[in-house]
Amino acid sequence: MAEPDVADFTPLTAGAEKQELSRPSLSYWQDAWIRLKANRRALTSLYIVIALLLFTVLGPWLWQVDPGLQDLDQISQPPGTDRRAVIVEDYQPWYGESGLTDVNGLHLARPATTQAVRLKWDVLPGASGHRVYRNLFPIGPELAFGVPLAEIYDNDTLYFEDRLDLRPGIYYYSVVALDPDGQIIDSFETIEVQVQRVTTREEAVQRGLIASDSELGIGDRILLDLHPLGTDYLGRDMLARLMAGARVSLFIGIGAPLLFVLFGMAYGSMAGFLGGRVDSAMMRFADFVVALPFLLFMILFKIAFGIGPGESGVFPMLVALVLLMWPATARLVRGQILQFREQGYIAASRLLGARTVYLVLRHMIPNTLGVVLVTLTFAIPSAIFTEAFLSFIGMGVAPPTPSWGSMSNEGIKTMLTHPHELVFPALFISVTVLAFNLLGDGLRDALDARMRNQE
Amino acid sequence: MTGKPEIQLTEQNFTRRAGRQLALYAVYSLLALIVLVYLLSLVSGGSGLSGSAIDADSNTITISLREEPPQLDSGRATDAASFVVIAHTMEGLLGYDDNSQLVPGVAERWEIREDGATFWLRDNARWSDGKPVTAHDFVFSWQRVVNPATGSEYSFILYSIRNAEAINNGELPVSYLGVRAVDDYTLEVEFERPTPYFEKLAAFSTYYPLREDFFNSTNGRYGADADMLLYNGPYVVSEWVHNASMRWEKNPFYWNDKKGFLDAINVGYITQDVNAKLNLFKDGQIVDTHLVAPMLPSAMEQRWHIQLFMEGTVFFLEFNHRDGRLTDNHHFRKALQLAQDPAELVYKALKEASYLPAPSLFPEFIQGVNGPFRKEYPPPEHRLNLAEARRHLELARQELGLDEFPPLVLLSGDTPVAMVAAEYYQALYKKNLGLDILIDAQIFKQRLAKMTSGDFDIVLAGWGPDYDDALTFGDLFASWNLNNRGRYNNPRMDELVRIAQSSLDPKTRMDAFGEIQQLIYDDAVIIPMYERGWSYVVDPRLKGFKRRSIGPEVDYNYAYIDVDGE
Repeated sequence: MAEPDVADFTPLTAGAEKQELSRPSLSYWQDAWIRLKANRRALTSLYIVIALLLFTVLGPWLWQVDPGLQDLDQISQPPGTDRRAVIVEDYQPWYGESGLTDVNGLHLARPATTQAVRLKWDVLPGASGHRVYRNLFPIGPELAFGVPLAEIYDNDTLYFEDRLDLRPGIYYYSVVALDPDGQIIDSFETIEVQVQRVTTREEAVQRGLIASDSELGIGDRILLDLHPLGTDYLGRDMLARLMAGARVSLFIGIGAPLLFVLFGMAYGSMAGFLGGRVDSAMMRFADFVVALPFLLFMILFKIAFGIGPGESGVFPMLVALVLLMWPATARLVRGQILQFREQGYIAASRLLGARTVYLVLRHMIPNTLGVVLVTLTFAIPSAIFTEAFLSFIGMGVAPPTPSWGSMSNEGIKTMLTHPHELVFPALFISVTVLAFNLLGDGLRDALDARMRNQE
Repeated sequence: MTGKPEIQLTEQNFTRRAGRQLALYAVYSLLALIVLVYLLSLVSGGSGLSGSAIDADSNTITISLREEPPQLDSGRATDAASFVVIAHTMEGLLGYDDNSQLVPGVAERWEIREDGATFWLRDNARWSDGKPVTAHDFVFSWQRVVNPATGSEYSFILYSIRNAEAINNGELPVSYLGVRAVDDYTLEVEFERPTPYFEKLAAFSTYYPLREDFFNSTNGRYGADADMLLYNGPYVVSEWVHNASMRWEKNPFYWNDKKGFLDAINVGYITQDVNAKLNLFKDGQIVDTHLVAPMLPSAMEQRWHIQLFMEGTVFFLEFNHRDGRLTDNHHFRKALQLAQDPAELVYKALKEASYLPAPSLFPEFIQGVNGPFRKEYPPPEHRLNLAEARRHLELARQELGLDEFPPLVLLSGDTPVAMVAAEYYQALYKKNLGLDILIDAQIFKQRLAKMTSGDFDIVLAGWGPDYDDALTFGDLFASWNLNNRGRYNNPRMDELVRIAQSSLDPKTRMDAFGEIQQLIYDDAVIIPMYERGWSYVVDPRLKGFKRRSIGPEVDYNYAYIDVDGE
């Protein structure tokens, strides 16, 4: 170091070099936001949450399909199914008459369509009756003919009409001879049938696929309704149902936590601030509420509110959630308040003449807000799960109103054959819950003042 | 200054090293788990080949039961699971053979007259303690069933015996019941009214015998446990672990060598879960299971020999005909009837290969005079007719003086099939008639309670046959029948049922049933939905297995093992 000289001892000119901040001043929230933005996981989750909210609110405006509408021509269709269909005549009962005369053996009385497959055959050698089978696979040497559709115990009826859940594609029909006791004898015939998707003109007009004065008629090709995510077991549009279900799931998922966190905050801060006997009394009451069984109360509220059969149980679910879930937040906030109460700045503020209300609103609650926000984001997924669970066991929404939980419940029955009916609602539940959890995680890190300025 | 980063470095190194170690452990344990699972699958695969479903060495099979029987007292049993057990452990005066034909049971021969019947019992029928089955055992059993103190829900099935109804209503003492033992092997029955189908009734399990001294020795716990029962059928319940398992062993005293070929039947599982049952069947743990629609593609892929059985139970929408209900109005019911087509329900919504759209209350198997009833008396042809339906709805609106119809309560079961049907009708009637329907899904017992108290507008109901006669369906809507849950009350219907009950001429009876069938359609008493059947698979080594519409739903009485049968 150099020796000090005289110049060092002259006073500085006023205002020339003020204390300068090297970085802009950041409020608590700004800092939190910056750190949240740096957390890519949390940010992505935030975008997903926003997208979900848009999906729920704007979705039904953009995709105006009635979630309860049953499209019985397209049942359990996975997404991306070929929608082309040919217009055919209205269904007429059939009693075995056929225009074909020169055909022998098992044959089709008319081209096979999704409306009906009409089979005719001649008496098989040695048969005193016949059984009709349908298979998705060619008949192999095991002679497993597939699913038996009908048994006919006489030789007068030599026709059969299949209308069961026909889908475009190839079926293998077999007619097997029966002995007088109804046992299979070794004599059968099999045909391969290509089934074509059809619809009727009336149906097409009703669905608004063609205008009632349209030129299109029998034999013309049209496109059936579009179902981007496929349809469920009653031909209802999955996308529309997911949107309608999101409304229920997110209403409970966000509404209930918002209410019980608010209540818990008020309760906890009151207990914490008042302290002493009031505090212990209030917290013992909170302990008592924790001990109450949720499911039982859910059922009790359902009865108490006079929710009749077939009516939605969503409101009692909301009430039960709010009334029983607040103690966790209350405890958390009370603990925080107890801590802050003894802080120096509170004492200072008090000395400056601040009143209790001011102290609570200005100093205490804003300080607990970080913790509360985190609680909220973690409460949301658990509420969504609760709703899904209750609807899954049939305590929630009433049909035909869908919710993600009830949709999963319905989808699980056809999990093996039509997985999309389970996958989509389950995916929505999982993604939503995961997004809220990760966002909560990010918020906790971002709002933790002790982690400030630490990278 | 220099120390700190170094410490940090070592700390970081430490964490990194620890992390690496942990990851390694995770990989090891995962590998170990995979090996374990693989070994386990080898072991279970080995045993799965022989399986416990069929054990040819000990001549034993393993089955599953739908649910735990509440008790096994044949006089009080009402549920399918109890009927299955009772059908294997007890025998009545008459029984059904492997072709579902009526054959002698404890009775060797019998005679039905206009005013009564006589049964001559065989002298080699024995109880499982070796004592003979006598006519007194039947008298005691029947007197007990009609005794109001017993509270048997099936007591009405004995009402064709003289004074049975009066005794059951508490108006006469039980000794007035028109049945007596002439001697140990002759049973004499007096009828309340002519009952030409009494032999079919006598095969029903409520008519099964019960020995007085044994019953008294159980101190009111008869039927509650394996040792609280006395058996006279091909098998005895040797073990009953409640809610878990049962074992039926061959009854050494059983007289008939054409029944009961197995040494033992294990009821290894008590479950309603079709998926669990399918897995048990795949693993060779049970001999048979039924298949629901979503299972059929994989069953076809595995090339199983799928079988079909029409059970004879008909399901229908039953209206509540009590005063003050919308559904009491004829036009309103007509509108609902004409705005639907059961074929669409079955083929599009339910999609079960074994279900048939029902055009009538009478299922296909019911016999008429010379052939199938439905061939001799074709059911009314039904077509969906929206214009006519809306016309009827308008008439109903005027008659009832309503501007708008309040929502209807559709009471349904909580089974998957019932829920699909309920949702289908909810959307259908909203679309076709603009009616709002609330679905009230209840468990079986609760649904029955609500049906009995009339707490519904429409109910998804079903009716299965108790005995092999059209009357088992035909008297359902008689005003006095307690199973007429909608309380349909029509003098003409009552008149027809009376004719069907008491006429001795088959043609007159069948004409009455034909008219009942027409009346049910014309007055829209119910809307038939479907006739239930089952797609099922049986282990190819088991022969003689039966499913039945009358009696037990599954019957192993004639079953035997044939190892080469594959």
